[in-house]
Amino acid sequence: MSAHRVLLLLTLAFALALPAPAAAQKKGGTLRAAFGSDPPTLDPAQATDTTSSAVIRQIFDTLVELDAMLQPVPALAERWGVSTDQRVYTFTLRRGVRFHHGREMRAADVKSSFERAAKGKRPWVFEKIVGAREFLRGQVAEIRGIRPLNDWTVEITLERPFAPFLSLMAYDAAAIVPREEAARLGVEFATRPVGTGAFRFVSWRRDDQVVLEAFSGHFRGAPHLDRIVFRIIPAEITRFNEYKTGNLEWSEIPTGHCRAVQGDPILKPEWAIWPILGTHAVRFNVERPPFSDRRLRLAVAHAIEPRAIVGGLLEGCVVEGKGILPPAMPGFNPGVGGPRFDRVEARRLLAEAGFPGGRGLGPVTFHYNTSDLNQRIAELLQSQLKEIGITLELRRLDWAAHIKLVDEGRAPFFRQGWIADYPDPENFLAVLFHSRNVGAAGNTSRYRNPALDRLLDEADGMAPGPARFKRYQQAEQMVLTDAVWISLYHYTSRALIKPYVKGLERSPLSSAPEFLAPLRKVWLDK
Amino acid sequence: MIAQPIARRLVALIPVLFGISLLVFVLNALALGDPARAMLGQRGDPELIAQIRQEYALDRPLWVQYATWMGRLLRGNLGRSYHQQRPVSEVIAERFPATFKLAVAATLIAVTAGLLMGIAAALRPGSALDHLLMGAAVIGISTPVFWLGLMLSLFFAVWLGWLPVSGYGDGAFANLVLPALTLGALHTGTIARMTRSSLLEVVRQDYVQAARAKGLGEATVIGKHALKNALIPVVTVVGIGLADLLVGAPLTETVFAWPGLGRMLVAAVGQRDLPVVMGAVLVFAVIYVLGSLLVDLAYLVIDPRTRRD
Repeated sequence: MSAHRVLLLLTLAFALALPAPAAAQKKGGTLRAAFGSDPPTLDPAQATDTTSSAVIRQIFDTLVELDAMLQPVPALAERWGVSTDQRVYTFTLRRGVRFHHGREMRAADVKSSFERAAKGKRPWVFEKIVGAREFLRGQVAEIRGIRPLNDWTVEITLERPFAPFLSLMAYDAAAIVPREEAARLGVEFATRPVGTGAFRFVSWRRDDQVVLEAFSGHFRGAPHLDRIVFRIIPAEITRFNEYKTGNLEWSEIPTGHCRAVQGDPILKPEWAIWPILGTHAVRFNVERPPFSDRRLRLAVAHAIEPRAIVGGLLEGCVVEGKGILPPAMPGFNPGVGGPRFDRVEARRLLAEAGFPGGRGLGPVTFHYNTSDLNQRIAELLQSQLKEIGITLELRRLDWAAHIKLVDEGRAPFFRQGWIADYPDPENFLAVLFHSRNVGAAGNTSRYRNPALDRLLDEADGMAPGPARFKRYQQAEQMVLTDAVWISLYHYTSRALIKPYVKGLERSPLSSAPEFLAPLRKVWLDK
Repeated sequence: MIAQPIARRLVALIPVLFGISLLVFVLNALALGDPARAMLGQRGDPELIAQIRQEYALDRPLWVQYATWMGRLLRGNLGRSYHQQRPVSEVIAERFPATFKLAVAATLIAVTAGLLMGIAAALRPGSALDHLLMGAAVIGISTPVFWLGLMLSLFFAVWLGWLPVSGYGDGAFANLVLPALTLGALHTGTIARMTRSSLLEVVRQDYVQAARAKGLGEATVIGKHALKNALIPVVTVVGIGLADLLVGAPLTETVFAWPGLGRMLVAAVGQRDLPVVMGAVLVFAVIYVLGSLLVDLAYLVIDPRTRRD
């Protein structure tokens, strides 16, 4: 899929997401969607997965939210200001916002929610706030950088400027929860959540369904839908069959069915595809031989032909990988380029590295986590590398085992996908390649490049804008030139959506079937 | 007379469960993967991983972890799920009704269909009906559960629209039909083949010939005299089949989005949620042993000679 087509898709996706005129919007109805697995939790402090987030975002609100163009817009905060040194954010809260149990939200709830979430599973969302690190280590009782100035104003001070901070405030880990309910319910808050969101929690039968109902007291008014039923259907093909029989309002297109759906006269009008903020790649452990040698990494990069994966295995329904950042990411550079498919160059580099025709190198182990698609990609890589004389031994493990090996630097060459938590290049480049993140924190290549660290640190602290993006683009090129990461393709969301579903935002942060977009905007035209 | 063998069986259950728990614990310890890391998704904070490991005592020696778990079990406590942060007993109890319902329905289908097919085939050995039924039995045994489930779903739910595609549906009977048929098919073929061969062997025996010579009708000869004795090996197959049924359940539950123990166990293994894995395996083991006990009791009822042992 070309960059032009991607832009066209993006434009189309956003255009389709535009709300219909208010008079045309209908009230009522139940929206039925399905997930592939049970959400592990409905507590924003404990969630780490998109399934949980998709439900949490309907039950809870955040201070700001991201619109379909990924721009921060007011939510629980009606406005905010930023100090000239870009370190202090002052949020003015909306008055009259009520939690589902009836109490009005106050600034103290913001402080308690953030401190509670910082002790949860995603502390990195809050770690840039002054005093957060001491709080996380248990050295102090509160995060001193979060100060309620009065009931309706909260001031948050960062250790140093951090441009994506507003995106973090829109992240579901930063959802506002009622402190007394969270304290009263303890761990049970995960199964009986209470928020300010447009939908309130009704029931959850594990591995079967989660039911939400409209919250008429929502600060934006009651949503269009009466209810949302999230069913848990593990088999992709069963979700597809449920969609075809009219039991679901949307479904993702099962792997391998993309072209068939496009050729199906009934399903074609319901077909939708849009780029999301994710990249599927292969990485090296650059700390240990043989891939500590850049020439060998470059040889592998030149021997891999992503087009065969995109056009063959994925039926052209994803975007071919060129750079690290996905095309829908703000700051994406269409001119970025890593080593291109060139077997002659690959053979030359392999010989230069001391392994002419692959002799002396021995078999290289390639690790990947269990999935049919990953297996087929691994087999294709194996045949492509065989062409230059590299023998790939495939090692398939389940996700828990795979991630442990990768985190600990025990996998020399491995598959890794990355989906952005928030729309900023920092969430890709700093997380995946900064030396402070070596290991489980994201830099599984164990890449240490002081020049890159400096560039990333500088970009992280700059004010939003083209100059900042320029730094990230330089950093991206630096990593690609060093062949630390080889992008195979950028993810797209491939979905079937019933034509009567209106107002569903197809944002690059939303991937079917777990739409992270606010479903309060959705209505059913039937 | 029956109480003694039951008591013996129940006492024998204790070392079996202990052995199984130890085996599962060791296998889990040998498997790669860290529950603390698995909880944190794509981005793991090393300090947080260490903190979680400490919180769940995962940083302690394996034998201490096992002894702690066993100590809790002896007090009737299966521990807490790492992933769901709830008592394991609650997690299992929530799923058990769905699994039990599916297992009972599948067994009823398998026993009824298997017996009828086996008897019909045995009455006309070598006939076209015999070949047809035994051919169907072999197909039932050898068809992968996942594929059969999908085909049944496609035909009865997607094309004909007679039954729901998937889901528990608040326990509605219609939702149970396809998963039970799928799971039952695995077992039906085995019971049918065993019934046929067992019945053919029994009808050749002298006492059956004598009954026929007395002028008794074929239905009485088969139903009253032959079938009872032919059922003994069939009952064994039903008991053993219970294990197959439990093994087959995760796949059936996945195809039909049935919220049972099998799916829960598979997910828990993937998440390295050891307390849930241990709890679920123990439940499966208890069910299996109790199933065997029921088979033994059935022998006592069907064949009075076994009571003398």
